[in-house]
Amino acid sequence: MTVGHGMFILIVVLSLAFFSYNAQRLIRYMMSIGQPEIRTGHPLTRIKNLFLVGLAQKKILRDAVAGPLHASVFWGFVVLTIGTAEIIAQGLFPGFTYAAILPAPLYAFYILSQELFAVLVLAAVGMLLYRRIVVKPRRLQGDKVHSGDAILILSMIGALMVSLITLGAFGFALHPDSSTIFQPVSLAVSHLLGGLSAGTLELGRETSWWFHALLILVFLNYLPYSKHLHVLTSLPNTYLSNTSGPGVKGAMSYMDLEAEGTEQFGASDVTQLGWKSLLDSYSCTECGRCTAVCPANITGKLLSPRKIMINTRQRLMELAPLATGDFGEFEHHALVAGEGGGAGDASVSAALANTLLDNYITEEELWSCTSCRACVEECPVSIDQLDIINELRRDLVLMESRFPPEIQPAFESLERNGSPWAFDPGDRAKWAEGMDIPTMAEMVDRGERPEVLFWVGCMGSFDDRAKKIAVAFARVLQAANVKFAILGQEEKCNGDPARRMGNEYLYQMLARDNIETLDRYGVETIVTNCPHCFHQIGNEYPQLGGNYDVIHHSTYIEKLMDENRLPLNGEGKALTVAYHDSCYLGRYNDVYEAPRETLKRALPMMTLVEPPRNHSKGLCCGAGGGRMWMEESVGKRINLERTEELLATGADVLAVACPFCMTMIGDGVKAQDSSVPVLDISEVISQQLGHHS
Amino acid sequence: MANVFAFAETRNGDLRKIGLEAVTAARKVADETGGTVDAFMAGAPGVGAHAGQLATYGADTVIVVENAGFEKYNPEALAATVAERVRGGNYRVVIFPTSALGSDLAPRVAAKLGVGLVMDVTGIKLDGNALIVQHPVNIGKVIATVKIASQPALIGIRANMFTPAEKPHAGTVERAEPVGDPSASRVVVKEVKLGGGAKLDLGEAPVIVSGGRGLKGPENFKLLEDLAAAFGNAAVGATRVVTDEGWRPHSDQIGQTGRLVSPQLYIAVGISGAIQHLAGMRTSRTIVAINKDKEAPIFKVADYGIVGDLFEIVPVLTAAVKEAKSRG
Amino acid sequence: MKIAVCIKRVPDMDVRFKIAAIGNAIDEAGLKFDMNDFDSWAVEAALQIKDKDAATEVVIVSLGSDSVQETIRKALAMGADRGVELKVDRIPFDGLAIARALAAELKDGGFDLILFGKQSADSSNGVVGAMVGELLGLPVVTSISKLELAGRTGSAKREIEGGQEFVEFPLPAVLTIDQGLNTARYPALKGIMAAKKKPLDVKPAQLGEQSVTVVKMELPPERPAGRIIGEGVSAVPELLGLLQTEAKVI
Repeated sequence: MTVGHGMFILIVVLSLAFFSYNAQRLIRYMMSIGQPEIRTGHPLTRIKNLFLVGLAQKKILRDAVAGPLHASVFWGFVVLTIGTAEIIAQGLFPGFTYAAILPAPLYAFYILSQELFAVLVLAAVGMLLYRRIVVKPRRLQGDKVHSGDAILILSMIGALMVSLITLGAFGFALHPDSSTIFQPVSLAVSHLLGGLSAGTLELGRETSWWFHALLILVFLNYLPYSKHLHVLTSLPNTYLSNTSGPGVKGAMSYMDLEAEGTEQFGASDVTQLGWKSLLDSYSCTECGRCTAVCPANITGKLLSPRKIMINTRQRLMELAPLATGDFGEFEHHALVAGEGGGAGDASVSAALANTLLDNYITEEELWSCTSCRACVEECPVSIDQLDIINELRRDLVLMESRFPPEIQPAFESLERNGSPWAFDPGDRAKWAEGMDIPTMAEMVDRGERPEVLFWVGCMGSFDDRAKKIAVAFARVLQAANVKFAILGQEEKCNGDPARRMGNEYLYQMLARDNIETLDRYGVETIVTNCPHCFHQIGNEYPQLGGNYDVIHHSTYIEKLMDENRLPLNGEGKALTVAYHDSCYLGRYNDVYEAPRETLKRALPMMTLVEPPRNHSKGLCCGAGGGRMWMEESVGKRINLERTEELLATGADVLAVACPFCMTMIGDGVKAQDSSVPVLDISEVISQQLGHHS
Repeated sequence: MANVFAFAETRNGDLRKIGLEAVTAARKVADETGGTVDAFMAGAPGVGAHAGQLATYGADTVIVVENAGFEKYNPEALAATVAERVRGGNYRVVIFPTSALGSDLAPRVAAKLGVGLVMDVTGIKLDGNALIVQHPVNIGKVIATVKIASQPALIGIRANMFTPAEKPHAGTVERAEPVGDPSASRVVVKEVKLGGGAKLDLGEAPVIVSGGRGLKGPENFKLLEDLAAAFGNAAVGATRVVTDEGWRPHSDQIGQTGRLVSPQLYIAVGISGAIQHLAGMRTSRTIVAINKDKEAPIFKVADYGIVGDLFEIVPVLTAAVKEAKSRG
Repeated sequence: MKIAVCIKRVPDMDVRFKIAAIGNAIDEAGLKFDMNDFDSWAVEAALQIKDKDAATEVVIVSLGSDSVQETIRKALAMGADRGVELKVDRIPFDGLAIARALAAELKDGGFDLILFGKQSADSSNGVVGAMVGELLGLPVVTSISKLELAGRTGSAKREIEGGQEFVEFPLPAVLTIDQGLNTARYPALKGIMAAKKKPLDVKPAQLGEQSVTVVKMELPPERPAGRIIGEGVSAVPELLGLLQTEAKVI
């Protein structure tokens, strides 16, 4: 054993020990601070996510510029890790090479892959550095975003690639007979080294090897102190995430309000979040894609989903060492630079007194969220930012009764009248007067059962504009001879506004009342024109034992068209229509095509145009997450931002599939002094009804 | 024979209109059975000069209590004095106004006498030994017919329900002294602030003139301020769009996320009637809408609507209200 | 400080009422009940005093059938300490009868303040608070929209027609609360849970004789449907006429 060999073994052992120490520390923080959660079910879905989102980089590639660059680095890393293992093995067992254990063609393929990916990664790193240092895209800016960290990491990766090439090149120059065309780049570089003495070449080779091997170990041990921890956590995080399933996308977590001994509802600190939220915080690379698509942030509000994650991590790193007895770690913070305020270098007593809520994340940020889910959709490593926002909102309302004062009337009306507005429940079915639409009670009295229950929703019942949507959809149902009923006075708000505003107690009260009513009538199939009712009843009521087949009216109309039940007149002008995606229909439920398809079929001469942000990238109208009942006094109004974008398409008609979008976009159009009509898809269809030939 | 006691409210040495309404109501009840009306007035020395006015509206006797201690409302001394007079007067009915003062005074007197009291009465009828009154309940959505069996029966009449009608009677003035020492009251009114151009709060103004997007800009709210000024008791409100645009302060917003109001009269100008706005004002007693779009949802909740250009209509309405007010 | 707040359970007013078959009451089927708004501001006023002085005890008293327990629990959820139900089968209309029952309960409680809402939304009579004060021989200030306490003296603002009165009074006292004093806090779930464990005594109410009774209830004539009376300035004179004669608001 040479001195160098001995030293290398020692270095590897020490660095792995140090890395293991940090790894166990971070895992321990996460598991002992976070609340228990089970994330192991449905392994097939998880493996699918791991392949699609993790290995295939599906979400990374949503960004047309940075996507391919990062994917190159990622795939390069995966491939080059095999080479890294060889190099470390060589250090431990001198003379080791894969050539000894691999068949020649496979070995040739292996060395070629190392060469090519090294070059690919080097090129990508060059461009990423250029982007970071020269271009500086807005989403990479933040109050205290670790740009230096990023530059350091990119430089390390670059240096790893360069040393990998020089290692090969010095080797070939020293032993030209070992040259192979499967390492073309190293070979090319080796020709430049022709004039050097054997001693120099040997020194160059040795230096390259040591530099590369040591840098790998440095890199590995730097990760736990860097936002680049995601290199290690992103794949496990993607596997353990529920953001693309398993389970229902976007469903808020079930909360047992009756559980004995529960004294905390929601979360005000990291100790009350699930451990997965903490793993999410480890996995955040501060890429800012979430913040770049956040409607609140885009329009100048304080909310930044990235900041939510960074500050969650910062708070965890402040509290966890104290809470777990790692007082030494408290002294030298790792991963603690937060974005935009936060406590930072606190004394022990201050650190213990701090909470995630208020000290790191303010009420104002939380109430700006429209729950549109754009951040979650965008995150390349499947972080669920919304989960933290929802849990903190729950604490605010359920524990502290702290919320914007203007939503109190909504809470009170929901409780008293079963609708967020103080209207007489007795007027719920007024829109249907003279339309010969039976209530469920009337139908049951006659001993009949409907094909479907039309769930009208509070907007359709009380909002003058939305009542017209209810009428239009009812006409469509009647034209298709669908036997349907409504609940009338027995219908109550589905509870989504209360739940999204953090008032789980009120939500469960409403939901249980509705489930009781629906079950009493044995309702099985529900159609509704409101995506919030659709999502809530279909996807979240099962948590409370309400199981129904809930269909959004766009899908239902498409089905009626498929079954040839809709007498369309086939007429229509050559209109240009822009469709606005509803968040709860699109991102929450993946219903993108049904509304577009029904429009196309109803208006054969129509041209469907898309605003720049469409489908899963669609921009929220601003009404979700209870924002409909809150003031929007900071920054630009979200509905204006969206309406401008829709009007800029030059469309003759704006089509929506949600009564809340209708209000917001309708208001936006008025504010623009535009006369472009905003129509619900059911209104477009109902205008095209003819007679069965 | 039903003798009636009427409390004629005074303020600053003057009779209030609702005081005359109490005497008018008392006269009506008394006349049904040939009874007499005793009107009671109290105030600082000199208030008795108005006794003649009570005679004009039908008082047979005017009980006048002049005392420096009654210059401002003195609830404890006044209640003791009124209770003493009623106790000794063998009245079938005692009538108070349902005013800020009457609503404070009447229950004190009723408790002292141990008799029944109904406030906010809109109709009165004698029925044998009992008094039958109409009294709106459930914020006016239901009318209750209530029987008061006690002797006397105490009621507070709603303002503007018994229009003062002249019906001259003798109005013999009878001077009386306060019961107890008015300066020894525990509850003391230190100061009274009246009017003085203070901006009426939206929650309290009987009339609200409110503007929406149709006003087109902050400068045009002058039109609404002028209309409010013509009413004299009106406040100016706005929709969420208007406050979001910064045309008016956020505190002026009427609607689900702003103030929830139900004034006697709500005039919606250039307001289409979004659900958020309707939720905050639809319980107003009378709603007037002025809007250029006859399809606007506001017309569905309005009692009276005018379709047309608000910039033409509002100034004309302002002038008309001013004229009506100067006549009335 | 020891504060009693008397509250009433009333139906939600955002509905169209129906008259019960007996003819002198509303049909309560399907109605939602909650704490009377004015009373919730009274509870809030007491709790704001408690917020500043933790030693304050806030006792909720409500006269009604057992269903008022739900309303009392709401006040407890807001932060009051304990509740008393004065049990009756039906809440009478006679304010004096109610006041006597309440006064009997409050008489020996040693309260520094007894708070009421200015009036209930259903009976709309607004007499009970002042009657209780009178029966207990305590100073009474009604319809206050501002309250300050300094030691054993309080000052309050009362809204009067076209102005305000500023009143001083000594403690103990009875106050009735008007709109504008505060906005009632929304009970958090934490408070709702805590309220379940707070004491709530049930006692029979000593109602005594009643001289005021409801003999009939009826719905007022339907408001005429809204109508567009005309277009442009030519419609103004008609509007003014209607406001004067039909709506009687000018």
